[in-house]
Formats: sequence, structure tokens, C-alpha cells
Amino acid sequence: MVNENQHSASRAHDLFGMLLGLFALFMLITIKWQIDTSGPDPFYKGPMIFPLIILLIMLAGSIPSMWRMIKPLPGSSWYLDGDGIPYRTIAVAVLLAFFPLGLTYLGLEISTWLFLFTGLQIVKQNALPKLIGIPLGITAAIYLVFKLFLDIWFPTPLLFELLME
Amino acid sequence: MLEHFLAGLSATFSLANFAALFFGSIVGIVVGILPGLGPMVGMVVLLPVSFNFSPDVALSLLLGVFCGGYFGGAIPAVLLRTPGVPSSLITSFDGYPLTQKGEAQTALSASLLGSFGGGIISVIILIFLAPVLARVAASFGPPEYFMVAVFGVVLVVMAFRQRLSKALILLGLGFWFSCVGIDGPTLSPRFCFGTLSMQNGLHIVPICLGLFGIGQTLILVEREIMKTKHINLSRSSLDFSKLWRLMKYWRTLARSGIIGTFVGLLPGTGSILASFLSYDAAKKLSREKERFGKGTPEGCIASEAGNNAVPAGTMIPLLTLGIPGDALCAVLLGVFTINGIYPGPLLLVKEPVLINTLYCSMLMINIVSFVMLALWLKPFAMVIRIPGKLLSISIMAISMVGIYAVNARFFDVGVALVMGVLGYILLRLEWPVVTLVMGVVLGAIVENRLRQTLSLSDGNISILFERPICIVLVVLTVLTVVIPLLLDWRRVKMKQKQESNIIIQE
Repeated sequence: MVNENQHSASRAHDLFGMLLGLFALFMLITIKWQIDTSGPDPFYKGPMIFPLIILLIMLAGSIPSMWRMIKPLPGSSWYLDGDGIPYRTIAVAVLLAFFPLGLTYLGLEISTWLFLFTGLQIVKQNALPKLIGIPLGITAAIYLVFKLFLDIWFPTPLLFELLME
Repeated sequence: MLEHFLAGLSATFSLANFAALFFGSIVGIVVGILPGLGPMVGMVVLLPVSFNFSPDVALSLLLGVFCGGYFGGAIPAVLLRTPGVPSSLITSFDGYPLTQKGEAQTALSASLLGSFGGGIISVIILIFLAPVLARVAASFGPPEYFMVAVFGVVLVVMAFRQRLSKALILLGLGFWFSCVGIDGPTLSPRFCFGTLSMQNGLHIVPICLGLFGIGQTLILVEREIMKTKHINLSRSSLDFSKLWRLMKYWRTLARSGIIGTFVGLLPGTGSILASFLSYDAAKKLSREKERFGKGTPEGCIASEAGNNAVPAGTMIPLLTLGIPGDALCAVLLGVFTINGIYPGPLLLVKEPVLINTLYCSMLMINIVSFVMLALWLKPFAMVIRIPGKLLSISIMAISMVGIYAVNARFFDVGVALVMGVLGYILLRLEWPVVTLVMGVVLGAIVENRLRQTLSLSDGNISILFERPICIVLVVLTVLTVVIPLLLDWRRVKMKQKQESNIIIQE
């Protein structure tokens, strides 16, 4: 059972807050190079005023996290929710990262089917009818909706182009 | 006026619009029934598809999901004590005890009646209140708009004041996302890191699709939200005789609908607060106070009428001021702007047919959702049995293809992926993701109005204290920050005092 207090007191929150704060600090330091202010507008009309304000808000919000990272609260720990490292989620996220590559090289139908087939295996939904039928059904539905009904253009698979050559 | 309403009514019943609202309501009910998904996931998954339709059809589709989601959320709350949408948690306080007593039909009838009544009442209030607010807003200049946007942002952040620093960080991050790309007024590239793709900016669609369509479903890969899938339902449809008997709670229904609408009107307050306040008011004013929490249909009616009134309530600031009240409305704002329609006081004058179509569609969505759930209660309830993991993988595939379909750009797919991972981290850490979305949506509005305001006063911020409406808004904003913090501080002090008294007594 997840302990609510333990969850919100986890140092993982402070680490994440600090990282976002450091990101804001980096952007603040490099803002001169990130925004082109060569235009004739006065500062209050220019493109830099709002980013400066919001990055300062972000930085201000992260100060408590940064402080707690330097000086941890008594009794604080890295314990989050007891769910451990989400290996399956990481595997699905990696698979998802390959999906755009699949769209480029294999095309919509094959890459969608492959993604669903592999994804279902990762999440242990591997009864054969499910593993074959559901990817087929959803791929068919995606094909019907996006290609036939909405007439969306998808690139010709690079692999097929290479094979044709 | 009447001719616009009739034109809107006729547009609502056009084949495309009716099909969109019907389909949207089905998707909404399904994602509402499935715990862990909710209307936001349904809306962002359908968002890429909606861009291919005319604005009225696209809005009907998404509003169907928005309203239908709240209808569906009550089913698992009553039958399994697992709310489909967070605000249905309050419905389970009385709905589940009724189910345990073998009165699931009474609880479901009360929930559906509450949802339907709340939805209809709120749309009627929207129809009458929106023109009044638009008339007031017509006198607004950039400083007033700026202050309204700031007030909205402050309300959203203060709604998460228990996690204030996190809400501030995410709001800032959301604002930063809205800054990326070419700055409209000066044409200066901002935070593009020397790449051409970033110059187009980070669009709301891949951000929302990533955060909710991918981030939320990545959570489902690991977690089993349902504790049981045993559905205790004897009939396949609703027992209509119970509906008539529940009509004696019409006062609770009307009161809760009104509370829900006005809570929805305030940005950032959300449906949970609407549901809770309606339930609390019903409990205080009921003749059967002692039955609350033990299983009374009145509790189910109050809670569901409160949360179902929120969608129309949130539409009021969106349509009249162009300020979305929550993340779901932020997505709707995206649909408006992509079609070149800018919500604000002039929208009601410029697009009367579209606005009336929207009103009529919202009324129809409530009717269609009610009828569908009443007739096909058991088939819809059976949706709970679909494994969450299977759904999550399927939604991810649809989201990825959908996001590519919007602009045929792989860059957007990459943005959605990054946002998906960010969304997963934020949801796992239970950070208030809503503030991030509000930041993305309100960023451009706040920035433009700020620069216009400063241009009016040659860079002098004191202009905000020279205009009466602005002064009122400044005072309201300050009070919104100060009063809750003072109350919290007082509560902590009292608790400390009580604890020290106990120690002394011991």
C-alpha cells in the first residue's frame, strides 16, 4: 500500500524539481543567445520580457527543491511508491521511440502491426488470438480512418523504395 | 436571435454533426467508464481526427467526449467503488453502499438523472449568462484581458496550493513551451537551438497528446487500477420506474446543477470541487442527513449533477473571454484557433450560428448520453472488463499515428514522445499536470496582453491600477492568493496548538 506522506516526501520530487530549476537557470544564463533581440522594439515590447519573467517564476518555484536536495529533511528517503523501476514501461517507451522510424522505413500498416504485436508481448497480453487478432483489427481500423476516411498522406516506405531500386 | 437559434438547431441535426456528437458521446462514455483514462485521453486521441472537420462538427465531437466522460465515470463508481473520473469518487460514497444493499439500479438511476439534469441546467445557464458576460467583456482593453488571464492562472495555481512550488515550476514550464518558436510580433526566433523545426513552435496538440495520450497510458502499462471486475447488475437497461420516484429530489438536482456551473466558471477549480460542494450542500439541506454516506440516491444525484454541470460552466469564460477554465477547455480552445476562430466577447456577435450550434449540440449530447446509457447500461458497464494494458498499447499506437496525421511532420511525433515521457514522470510523481497545460495555452494570451498593456502605458505597469475593472481584478487576484494561505496558516497553527495541549495534558 502506498503511503501518501511517504510518496510526497520522497526525494525523487526534489531531484526532479531541482533538474527543472537548473534547466530554467541555464535558459536564464543563455537567454541572450537564445533570443534574437536585434529588433528596434523597446524592451517592454520585445521578445525577451515574458521569457525572463517565466523563467524566474520557474526558478523561484524550484528553490525549495534545490534547498532540500542540499539539506535533506530529517527522515526523508528516495522511496517513492514501492512500484520499483518500471522496466515494462521503459521497454514500451523505447518501442514507441522506434515507431516513427518504423513509419518511415516500413510504412503505416506494417509498423503499426509490429508495434502492437511487440507491445502486447511486453505487457504480457500474449494469448495467441489476442496477439494476432487485436493488432490486425486495430491496424485495419487505423488504416480505414486515417488513409481511407481522412485521406492523410503517409510517406512511401523507404525500405520498399530501396527494394524497388 | 431566434433565426440564429433555428440555424444552430438545424446545423446540430445535420448528418455530420449528429454523427460526430453521437460518436463523441460513445467514446466519452467508454473512456469515462475506464478508470485511469478519462475524457482528456479520449479528447486528445480524437483531436487529430477533428482537424479534418468543420469547426462545429469538430467541437461537437470533442464536446461529446467531454460531457460523455462525466456520464460514464459514475458507472464504475457505483458498481465497483472505483471512480471512472476523479470527481465520481463523491458519487461512490452513496452509490456503492446502495449497490451493496442490492439497489444498484436505484444508484445508477440517481447518478444518470443527476448527470442529465446537471448537464441540461448548466447549458441553459450558459445560454443566458454568456451574452451578459460578453457584453461586460466588450468594454475590456488589453490591461483588463491581461488581468483576467493572470487571475485565471493564479486560480489554477492556488487550486494546487498544497503543491505550490510544483505548480509554479510546471506553470513556468508550460509558459516556456508557449514561447518556443518565432515570436509573432517581432519575428525573432526564441529557444530554437539553431534548428528549423523548432521555429514552428511547440503546438498544443503534440503536447497534450503526449502528456495524456501517451503519458497516462504508460502509467497503465504498470498499474492495475481495478480491484475487481465483478459487475453486480441484473438488468441490461435502466429501470425507468425508479427514475420517476427519484424526481422528488428535484430541488437537490437544480441546486447542484447551479453550483456545478458556477464552480466550472472559475478557472482551475475543476469537477471534483463542484461535485464535493454540491454533495456537501445537499447533505446540509437534506431532511435525511443521516443517510448520506450510507447509501442515499440524493447523494448520487447531487454529486453527479455537480460534476456534469462543469463542462458547460467552463465554456462560459472560454466563449466570452477566450480563457479556458481547465485542461479540457484548453484543448477546445486549440480547435477554435486552428480554425481561425478566436473566442472572446465578439465571438457571440461574429459567429452566432456556430455558438447556437454549440449550445444545441451540448443539449443533444446530454440527451444522447443519457438515452444510450439508460438503454445499454450493461453493455457499457462490460467495457470495464477490457484489460487496461491492452487498451494502453492500442491508444499509444492511435496517438502516434494521429499526431503524425495533423501536420505530416515527424517533429511533432518526436515532441509527443518527449511529452509522453515527461507526462509519465509527472503523473507518477503526482505533480499537477493541469498547470503545465494551462501554461501552454494561456502563455500566448498572457504574453500578448502584457506587451499590449505595456505598449499602451509606455512600459509603465501602473496602468493596472488606473482602470476600475483592472483594480477589481488586481484585488481579487491578491485575495485569491492571500486568503487561502492565511486560512492554511491558521489551520496549521490551530493544529499545533491542539497537539501541544494534548502533550501538556498527558
